[in-house]
Amino acid sequence: MPSNRLHKATILTHKSAGRGYYRLVLKVPEAAAVALPGQFVMLRVSETLDPLLARPFGISSVPSKSSIEIVYRVVGRGTMLLTGLGSGRVLNLLGPIGKGFPVPDKGVTPVLVAGGSGFPPLHFLSQQYGSRAHIFIGSKDKQCLPPNGIIESFRDTTFKVHIATEDGSSGARGMTTDILNEFLKKMEQKAHLVLYACGPHPMLAAVSRIAAEHSISCYVSMEERMACGLGVCMGCSIPMISGGYKRACKEGPVFDAREIEWGEQIRLPIPHKKQGF
Amino acid sequence: MTKTKVPAGPDLSVYIAGIKLKNPVLTASGTFGYGEEFAEFIDLSMLGGVIVKGISLKPIVGNPPPRIWETPSGMLNAIGLENPGVDVFLSQKLPFLRKHDTAVIVNIFGFSLEEYVGVAERLDGAKGISGLEVNISCPNVKAGGMAFGTDLKATFELLSAIRKATRLPLFAKLSPNVTDVTEFAGAARDAGCDGLSLINTLLGMAIDVRCRRPRLANCTGGLSGPAVRPVAVRMVWQVAKKVSLPIIGMGGIVTGEDALEFILAGASAVAVGTANFINPLATLEVLSGIENMMAEQGVSRIKDLIGKVSV
Repeated sequence: MPSNRLHKATILTHKSAGRGYYRLVLKVPEAAAVALPGQFVMLRVSETLDPLLARPFGISSVPSKSSIEIVYRVVGRGTMLLTGLGSGRVLNLLGPIGKGFPVPDKGVTPVLVAGGSGFPPLHFLSQQYGSRAHIFIGSKDKQCLPPNGIIESFRDTTFKVHIATEDGSSGARGMTTDILNEFLKKMEQKAHLVLYACGPHPMLAAVSRIAAEHSISCYVSMEERMACGLGVCMGCSIPMISGGYKRACKEGPVFDAREIEWGEQIRLPIPHKKQGF
Repeated sequence: MTKTKVPAGPDLSVYIAGIKLKNPVLTASGTFGYGEEFAEFIDLSMLGGVIVKGISLKPIVGNPPPRIWETPSGMLNAIGLENPGVDVFLSQKLPFLRKHDTAVIVNIFGFSLEEYVGVAERLDGAKGISGLEVNISCPNVKAGGMAFGTDLKATFELLSAIRKATRLPLFAKLSPNVTDVTEFAGAARDAGCDGLSLINTLLGMAIDVRCRRPRLANCTGGLSGPAVRPVAVRMVWQVAKKVSLPIIGMGGIVTGEDALEFILAGASAVAVGTANFINPLATLEVLSGIENMMAEQGVSRIKDLIGKVSV
């Protein structure tokens, strides 16, 4: 058989990065050689049946021609087990997967919008096309921002970093989308702007609305629970305005924001929490 | 001159409902699409057969997400029978499958008896199809949405009607969500089915305790994967004892040993399903696992193991 996207990836480094994030660098030359910003990989964190399914991770960078980096935080059993794996460990990896961000044309000023733990694919994008880019990073509070190392990296690779926290503990006070909107309102010329967003779906829906109001192209990286990453389980369905669904792992994860039926995506359940938890 | 005897490789061929399979390993419906995505990883001609994702008369878009949720050694799915419909299957999906030397079994379903018969008729004359696997677990919208496959009379009537509509080998895919699966196996035999396929998924549910909502948008879904294997093996064994139709056994097969459990219980062939999601090479690993076990036990023909569990 000719080569395929199933590889053995060896952990080179695996470090705590601050704010609950981990930076994991994997030696996997075949994937590193072809990885594009916006693509992701599926990692099996165990050779046993626990957990059963591989986990998807956006590619954060290609630190060398033979390695890729992912940046993640613990959100469940798979990521929890992953934190315990050290260098030298070999994992089954499928990737790179999916359609990445469209390459910005010459003369385009990319406007990146990162929310929650959605920054890694934008980190990769900024390394390749960031020099003219503005990046908007937002979160509930300072503790929920990306790790400082990532923010510093954005400062190195982009034209300007705009930070917003809802409680004002870092950067501007407010929602990312509000400061994005203010920024766009002040721009006289907008034809050269293209929005690239990755984060919680309600944020992406809001960015999509803002893009439409300012008549700017907008590409969003969508996520949904997936079992296979191959395009066969039909789990990772993203609702389309044209009707039906497309697969985040095959036709996505990056989509033109105008294609997406945002109505269903906003319906996120909210955890019950006692005040102060 | 002495002639050196070279031992022949194990004979993995099986006959099932008149179909000759080069080996007993098939892919389970809903876990392999229509084969195209797996061509990147395996040579489809190495498989005994492919049971494709279920086809209906008209295209179905499927359920809103979340459609899947992982469970211990398994997963729940509520995909919602998304498929491009029989016309697109015939014109766009079947040609690719036919390029390979592997049996093509088409899983079919509908939401009324007429729809089931309609899709069976459309597939009846098509070249390259080895058989039909009938997913009887769908709700009959003309009978208040009650599932065909949990009602004995409805199952018999449905399969009898499909029997009249096609000459292709017919496998009834039995639901495990019944009190006595052997009764449904009997109904399938009486209706004229040529074989049985079991099990389909077990009905299950998971709840997000922080948001106090079901994990699946559909609330309930089908449980598959290694967690269900003991139930599946038991059902194959029970059915094989009572009904003499050939059986395709499935439910959580990950290794060759898992497959052999089903064969010893009475299955003539097996289908690998959820394992394909975690390892695109799973089918081939199951196949070589079967071969290794046969060599270890000195078994030269897999058909000699069918139903050979000693009780």
